[in-house]
Amino acid sequence: MPEITDLMETGQDSTLPGAPGALAAKALDFLRKTAKIIKNFSLLGKLSLAVIIFFIVLAVFAPYVSAYPYNLPSGKSLAPPGGGHPLGTDDLGIDIWAQLCRGAKISLIVGLGTALLAGLGGGLLGIISGYVGGILDKFLMRLIDIMLVIPDFPVMILLAAFLGPSLINIIIVLALFSWVSSARIARSQILMLKEKTYIKSAELYGAGAWYLMWKHFLPEIFPLIAVQMIRLTGRAIISEAGLSFLGLGDPTSKSWGLIIHYATSFKGIYFTEFWKWWLLYPWLFLTAMVTSLAFISRELEQVADPRVKR
Amino acid sequence: MTAESTSLLLVNELSITYNGVSPPVKAVNNISLKLKKGENLGIIGESGCGKSTLALGIMGLIKNGSVKGNILYKDLNLVGLPDDKLRHYRWKEIAMMFQNSLDILNPVLTVEEQVGEPLRFHCHLTPQEIDERVVHTLEMVGLDPAWRTAYPHQLSGGMRQRVLLAMALICEPELLIVDEPTTALDAASKNDIFELLQNLQKQLNFAMILISHDVAFVSQLTSMLITMYCGQAVEYGRTSDVLKNPMHCYTRGLLNSSPQFFKYKDLWGISGEPPGEGAPLKGCPFAPRCCQSAEGCGKSRPQLRYVALERRVACHKGGIETFLKAEGIKKNYRVGEKSIEAVRGADLEIRSGEVVALVGESGSGKSTLAHILAGVLPADEGSVFFRGKKVENHWATKMIGGMQIIFQDPFSATSHRMQVLDVVKEPLEIMKWKSTAERNKAAGEALQAVRLPVTPEFLQRYCYSLSGGQRQRVAIARALITRPNLVIADEITSMLDPSNQANILRELKGLQNRFGFAMLYITHELHLARKVSDKVYVMHRGEIVEKGSSSVIFEKPEHFFTKQLFKEAFRSSG
Amino acid sequence: MRQKTRMRLIEYAITIWVVITLNFLLPRLIPGDPFLVLTSQSAEDEEIVLSEEQREFLFHYYGLDQPVYKQYFIYLGELFRGNMGFSVYYKQPVSHIVMHRLPWTVFMVLSSVILSTLIGTILGCFSAWRREKWVDKFLFLFMIFFSEIPSFLLGLILLFVFAAGLGLFPLAGAVTHFADFQSGWEKAWDVLHHAFLPIAALTISHLGGTYLLGRNSMTTVLEKDYLRTAWAKGLPKKRVIFRHALKNALLPIVTRVFLSLGSLVGGAILVENVFSYPGLGTLMRESVRVQDYPVIQGIFLVVTVCVLLANFLADVVYRKIDPRVGS
Repeated sequence: MPEITDLMETGQDSTLPGAPGALAAKALDFLRKTAKIIKNFSLLGKLSLAVIIFFIVLAVFAPYVSAYPYNLPSGKSLAPPGGGHPLGTDDLGIDIWAQLCRGAKISLIVGLGTALLAGLGGGLLGIISGYVGGILDKFLMRLIDIMLVIPDFPVMILLAAFLGPSLINIIIVLALFSWVSSARIARSQILMLKEKTYIKSAELYGAGAWYLMWKHFLPEIFPLIAVQMIRLTGRAIISEAGLSFLGLGDPTSKSWGLIIHYATSFKGIYFTEFWKWWLLYPWLFLTAMVTSLAFISRELEQVADPRVKR
Repeated sequence: MTAESTSLLLVNELSITYNGVSPPVKAVNNISLKLKKGENLGIIGESGCGKSTLALGIMGLIKNGSVKGNILYKDLNLVGLPDDKLRHYRWKEIAMMFQNSLDILNPVLTVEEQVGEPLRFHCHLTPQEIDERVVHTLEMVGLDPAWRTAYPHQLSGGMRQRVLLAMALICEPELLIVDEPTTALDAASKNDIFELLQNLQKQLNFAMILISHDVAFVSQLTSMLITMYCGQAVEYGRTSDVLKNPMHCYTRGLLNSSPQFFKYKDLWGISGEPPGEGAPLKGCPFAPRCCQSAEGCGKSRPQLRYVALERRVACHKGGIETFLKAEGIKKNYRVGEKSIEAVRGADLEIRSGEVVALVGESGSGKSTLAHILAGVLPADEGSVFFRGKKVENHWATKMIGGMQIIFQDPFSATSHRMQVLDVVKEPLEIMKWKSTAERNKAAGEALQAVRLPVTPEFLQRYCYSLSGGQRQRVAIARALITRPNLVIADEITSMLDPSNQANILRELKGLQNRFGFAMLYITHELHLARKVSDKVYVMHRGEIVEKGSSSVIFEKPEHFFTKQLFKEAFRSSG
Repeated sequence: MRQKTRMRLIEYAITIWVVITLNFLLPRLIPGDPFLVLTSQSAEDEEIVLSEEQREFLFHYYGLDQPVYKQYFIYLGELFRGNMGFSVYYKQPVSHIVMHRLPWTVFMVLSSVILSTLIGTILGCFSAWRREKWVDKFLFLFMIFFSEIPSFLLGLILLFVFAAGLGLFPLAGAVTHFADFQSGWEKAWDVLHHAFLPIAALTISHLGGTYLLGRNSMTTVLEKDYLRTAWAKGLPKKRVIFRHALKNALLPIVTRVFLSLGSLVGGAILVENVFSYPGLGTLMRESVRVQDYPVIQGIFLVVTVCVLLANFLADVVYRKIDPRVGS
């Protein structure tokens, strides 16, 4: 008997709440885990991560890494790369590099904004719907069914056309058509978890909804939603580029898609050399960003759900 | 050569290694077997012992693996035969009834197509002929042919089993391999399949290899039996012989785990787990779980060797070892002028790891015999052998790993003025075994094994302050401290109340299962004997009147006295 | 089975109703005067001068002076008769313009669906068959890379390299204008020549998904117990692969073919604009530029109904080939 009580006491000691340094230790632990995940990435994954970090740095320090303003002419129009303008200028003589740095910021704002809004909102909807069930769940399922079959891009065009081109509108429109996937994931996970015996036994021990949510549901669902959010970021950036390419972008915020829009709208660009900088660089940036995000989410998917092979 | 040509299938030193995983797993290790036309062979073993791999190997269906050795079917070696040649043997000559599972039939093809398609490719029949054959075969296996247009998901488990059987028999193969035919079937369907296999074999005269972990099912259908463990055959013999007298500890363990054989005995599985996959094994794979493993067992792998006619066992000890053998024991007591014949020429044999019950009325000479076996009393005539060596001068009881006896009366068996610790470690003190610290440690472990406290207070308690149950446990701990290979328990629970009796008996049996020692359990309580014993000796007036497996004796006693004894004892229980 | 089909029909009907209602409500839900808000902020201001006269016309056209429920019924009634409104810019009925452009888009989308499905499935199954061999590894890497590049970006680079740079393909349009074709074959060749790059862009970016699905599906099927049964029966290789494996492996691909139409249409709209292909996509961009809302709405409606139809077809086909569904 005495050993057992001893054990219990020491057990309590080590997990005393609010112990100093516990938070730091947790943070350190988190960092170590993240480092381990990254270390297990394939070469492609590591490369993609580097690309993304590069774009984030570019977006944050946009005003400092470019010598010229992104919205005012600073040189000869349509100057080729070199001579002060590393990537040349567009038809108005605005520095392309400055525009691209600014575009990185816009793309990331649109992407992350949409992903946060759609991922968290959709996830929450899915969790509630799956957990509460009943009429709410039925309604949501029908809604999801409808959303799934409606082709999203034409609706986005329609909405964007009516709502008018502004960054915030674009984010809202994109989010409106992106929450479905996270909601579905969260809902199906909840439904699956609810059937697990360990949840049922926890309920038998008297666990409430709040406890189950924090202790069992969220830790299972969050990684999946997080992966989905990265995926949504990529999708949103593509969709924004597409809308901008059609001329539905916010003209005050020069996103990469908008640069491509202007470039391709330039009459006779096919017959000139201009596309080699005016179009190629935004194209490269966009493609690099989108594919990198996709690869990262692919890699993380394996970490979040070991059942997915490759 | 002549022997080979009469056999239908001859598997020669077959080894199958899966290379897809690292390290590679040797799922089948050096197996040889022989099957004549129309003969039945059973293969038993726990899940993962390589039975199914062996079957797939014979069918030539090993993916990501290398196959070594020979599989001679009608003198043609199937190993290394290119796929397009092997294809003509599959199903037409050797067919297989796969283990029933949802996925075993193609979900998008009808029953008719799946049952009939081998005919198209092997027998080149017209669609109409195929249809006739399918209908005929479905009827034969007892499935309404109307089901042939159904898809697999519309069938029940039992119907699917019949479809699998019909599919296997459609080309009338000469050899049928049946893999786990009873998985997930209820008793009635199981009986149906049993009868089907039996009747169809009479009609079609195919040879059969029956693979299952259901020992009872296999034993009813087959004439030869192979026990597999870790990809190796550990026992090979006639089914009836093996069932009656298993020679490998593993086979015995499997039989003991089958509720069909022992209706009353408590079920005890084989302790421990099979070794992890891919672990390179040097010695006998069963050694860690074996009750008679010795140092030599870990050094090399045992090969199948003949131990009797038509009986081969892979064991360094040549099969289950006989620990105790008593021959012609006689003992007379002199009471005044009269001489009472207490034991009149008793023979007895106890093999490793088994629980033998010695039953009989009070005064039938059970305890006397027990005391003679342990060397407490000298015998007038006859001799006792422990592990093949005659027992003299207590050599078998004064060693580690020898023989120990636990007496009936716990109060006289332990000194009331000694402390618990001293009582328990007394044998070690006498044997001068290692250091005091290690003796104390061993005593602690022995006490924990019998679920007594090991606090300093308890260790220093005097035995007089203990209850009867506690003192009996102390006595058991004292016996166990020498890690005996044989324990003689002489009416050890007769002086205890029912609850204590139940506890001590269960614990002793549990210890027996864990440590694997053999036990002679002497009792007049037939209910208890029926619960724990593998074998039974019935004693009457100093004579052993009946002996045998407890599954047989308690079901069908032969001797008049036994019948009477059982009638008296089990009257109330009906 | 029939019950289920009916249920699905009702679901589709509800979806179409939702889409139509959305279409009706959108212009009315915009706070304030939608036409005022929208006139000033476009990038190409010089092109759209929405005159007072046009504004009046639009206002009346949408019936904004009537109660909403009345507007709704009028709208439904008109739609039912095939009237999707009148284009302010093109001065033609919307249905007329849309139907005129629709065939080009359908041609492009269908060709890429068929091509990407065929090629993707074949390569995917081939990859699964040769799993972990170098062919598989190479194909896999190649495919995941191209499956992640959006089709219009792919189209752009194809246009600049193969049409503008190398001059192998025409830069824009669907047929050579004012050409005098000697025969139908020559015309067909011209059409294919024009359509090649846009279809290639759509197909390549769509290929990866089908390939991955085909590879995954085939790999799963190859490891199934029933396939081992088929091998055990000593059937010829062809029979095992095509009858036993492929039929199962195709099931998820069939669903995907139809379900992915929605996203493919989105891609097609953009790709058309890259190549100035005269389908619904370019029409949509023009209408957006000149803010011809009835046309945008009309395109949206037609595209949605087409996609829904395809989805319904997917259901029917799936039911036909998978015996497990619907019983």
